[in-house]
Amino acid sequence: MKKRAIILGVLVTIGYIAVAARLSQIMLVEHDLFTAKAKGQQIKKEAVPVKRGMILDRAGRELAVNLDTESVFANPSEIPSPERVADSLSKGIKKNPDVILAKLSADKKFNWIERKLDTEDTNRIKEIVKDSKLEGVGFFPEMKRFYPRGKLASHVIGYVDIDNNGLEGIEMSYHKHLTTRGENLKVVRDARGNVLSEGQRKEIKGNNIVLTVDEVLQHIMERNIDEVVSKYSAAAAVGIMMDPKTGEILAMTSRPTYDPNNPADVKAGQRRNRGITDCYEPGSTFKVIVGTAALEEKVVNPNSKFDCSAGSIEVGGGRIKDAHKHGVLTFKEVIQKSSNVGTIQIALKLGRQRVYDYIKRFGFGEKSGIDLVGEVSGAVKKPARWSGMTIGAISIGQEVAVTPLQVLRAYAAIANGGYLVKPHLVSQVVSPEGEQIYKAAIKAERILSDENVETFRNILKTVTEEGGTATTAAVDGNLVAGKTGTAQLIDPRTKRYSKDRFISSFVGFVPADKPKLAMIVVVYEPRGAIYGGVVAGPVFKKIAGESLSHLSVLRDDAKEKRLVISN
Amino acid sequence: MIAIDRRLTKNFDWLTFAIIIALALIGISTIYSATRPPAGVGEHSDFYLKQILWLTISIAALFVVVFFDYRWFYKFAYPLYGIGLMLLTIVLFAGRTSLGARRWLNIGPLSFQPSEFFRMMFIIAFSAYLVNRGEELKGRLPASAIFVFALFPMILVIKQPDLGTAILLSALFVSLSLAKGISRRIMTAILVIGLVSIPFFGNIAWDGLKDYQKNRLIAFIDPEVDPAGIGYHIAQSKISIGSGGLTGKGYLKGTQGPLRFLPEKHTDFIFAVFAEEWGFSGSIFLVGIYLTLFLRGIDTAMKAKDEYGRLLATGVTSMFFVYFTVNIGMTLGMTPVVGVPLPFMSYGGTSLLSNFIAAGILISVRTRRFELFYP
Repeated sequence: MKKRAIILGVLVTIGYIAVAARLSQIMLVEHDLFTAKAKGQQIKKEAVPVKRGMILDRAGRELAVNLDTESVFANPSEIPSPERVADSLSKGIKKNPDVILAKLSADKKFNWIERKLDTEDTNRIKEIVKDSKLEGVGFFPEMKRFYPRGKLASHVIGYVDIDNNGLEGIEMSYHKHLTTRGENLKVVRDARGNVLSEGQRKEIKGNNIVLTVDEVLQHIMERNIDEVVSKYSAAAAVGIMMDPKTGEILAMTSRPTYDPNNPADVKAGQRRNRGITDCYEPGSTFKVIVGTAALEEKVVNPNSKFDCSAGSIEVGGGRIKDAHKHGVLTFKEVIQKSSNVGTIQIALKLGRQRVYDYIKRFGFGEKSGIDLVGEVSGAVKKPARWSGMTIGAISIGQEVAVTPLQVLRAYAAIANGGYLVKPHLVSQVVSPEGEQIYKAAIKAERILSDENVETFRNILKTVTEEGGTATTAAVDGNLVAGKTGTAQLIDPRTKRYSKDRFISSFVGFVPADKPKLAMIVVVYEPRGAIYGGVVAGPVFKKIAGESLSHLSVLRDDAKEKRLVISN
Repeated sequence: MIAIDRRLTKNFDWLTFAIIIALALIGISTIYSATRPPAGVGEHSDFYLKQILWLTISIAALFVVVFFDYRWFYKFAYPLYGIGLMLLTIVLFAGRTSLGARRWLNIGPLSFQPSEFFRMMFIIAFSAYLVNRGEELKGRLPASAIFVFALFPMILVIKQPDLGTAILLSALFVSLSLAKGISRRIMTAILVIGLVSIPFFGNIAWDGLKDYQKNRLIAFIDPEVDPAGIGYHIAQSKISIGSGGLTGKGYLKGTQGPLRFLPEKHTDFIFAVFAEEWGFSGSIFLVGIYLTLFLRGIDTAMKAKDEYGRLLATGVTSMFFVYFTVNIGMTLGMTPVVGVPLPFMSYGGTSLLSNFIAAGILISVRTRRFELFYP
């Protein structure tokens, strides 16, 4: 009996040793493996919904903010009768019950039903869920992007998709900054997927973007652009205003436009920021290139004479005419009267290569580097590919594709004393705590010498002293320096210059001697009038006048109205 | 006559009593930890309070059993066994089904599992039978005994199905027969025939299993097949235990239970919760307490004053050992998942009460080992 008991005791002890061995295997040898497994299933990395940073104008006015909304979702696997739930929900959600039913019947564990509802809608649906005891339906707080100024500066600001990814404008190009704190947060979850550390979550905010845009100037510009578009039933229009010394964009707009709160309501073309995405032939405004190049290269002086009495000139087998016949003109007068014949004679003196070099020097054919997505570089043919007529055409702004922003930048160089600046829209990025994270640096490259710029600016100022054609652009109290442009559009059917489709533009700066702002206004296909001086000039005048008074710029001491316009 | 005399208090088996009280208290504290709400949010379920209540009842029951002379069981062994078989039969027809098994009987507001008590009745009755027939048996068991004490109850229990109790009953049958001195050769033959017949009856048996039982067997053979499916229990149990490490995460610091990854955390898998919080050192200590209980039980059987006491002590100790082994084996992924509670620690009133009654018999046998026998 005793022997048998001892055998039993030994057997039991062996069992103990077996259990101890197994315990040490699992708990000591494989400890790390199981710890990793435990963490793997309990700790989940979750993308934290970031409160997207705000977009502010240069004075801190809010252009893009966030609204607290809630989204309704369903776990179809927990819904026994989708028909009943769909039927009840359709009383609260403005959606076809069949659409809701399809979402509830999907073979998923998570499906959005309706997103970003306001408080009123959410409460109504919550009540239905409670009253009808609906299972498998839940609510999730989400941020909705809201643009309080509606269409204002929409092409600059851009918009976001339903998941708050920036799709256009600053929203896209500064998406990372706007969501910069959006790291994955480690949260503890249980076996059913419930997140349990929610209480410790704090709101995560992205950085705020401060634009160079001034909301008031933007508003002034948009109001006047709207007016001209409607007055001339124009197909499109562009307005860009820049601080010529820094490259800061003060206002930028494009027509047609859209409301970024509902970007899907319009065709994609309406969301295009034509100032940077569309090329055109600049026409007379482009004469600034040959004019400044001739002074820099000393092939002319302001009083050099050019015989324009023929009224036309033959270049490479083609003939280019002046609008009016002139006599013998000085260099000053060529620019002043915008003589094609005179300009082409100057260009021929420079030769292909130097004309091309100066076009490139002004930044044409390359992106300006503005902090937006979608900018195009335009097109400048290399001299080797020029036809015999090209030197004539290109010097008067044809056979070249440029963006309005590039033209504005070229005139800014005349305004600021010869520097090519880099245009930009964001002046600084500021953390939610107010710490400056990024500040725009002014990038300026000297492309013209001081004296020649001075000379050319004086020409631009004085040309219209005697009976200018575009007194409409004159600003009360401040001298405007600028140039009109009227370019024919290529008719897509005939592939030739159209006789009734034009692009009218005016580009210039004000006050002429101490420029505060440079601006370009481009009106596409105006009806009833075509000339830049008639269509774009008055808009320039209004915008510039109102803007200068907003900026409290003193009147020039000169009492008389003066402007520098030609066409 | 119930004998409450000085010898009873003097010879009382305090060690066994202390062990089971300690295990029950460790169990309650572990139940408290396992069922606490995650992240400190929400209500704490009151399982631990219910278990405290059941412990109080169980201790009272234990003392009643101890003060009873165990020989009273001998007198009523057969009627008790008859009632047990009847209850097992009734549960098959009138029982409540839960989780695919028909195990519960409702009597008014109470519900209990007859098989929880039947195992005690089996020990009492089969021991009595072996004592009764004494030398007549000559190392053999008649077919009628095999039918009444093995086949018939086994069929009833498997029919529920209750695999845990079936394993226990066969283990008790074998261990009590061995303790009585039934020929080892015969017992070996029974075992060998049983093992050999598995392949032959395997298909029939496999078809007879419920789906969840099949899944458990598959999961045991390869737990990694589908950790979120059939092998989930084992995988989660091993994660809980393994992540405990040498010293554990600390009391009330375990995560697997409150986060609901570990199923049956306060019942069948309570050891995993304990191991996660107390680590390897705590687990070795706990298993050591159980080892002490078993060795003490074997010692009690050896020192029992009469044959009936010896058989009772053997049966009860075997029962504790089988339950412990099956439970720990399952928890550690060494044996298939068989829903068996860890004696004294798992949540469950019936189980606790019946284990305390069984322990009461054990203590009674030891306490009365010096008493004179009056036939």
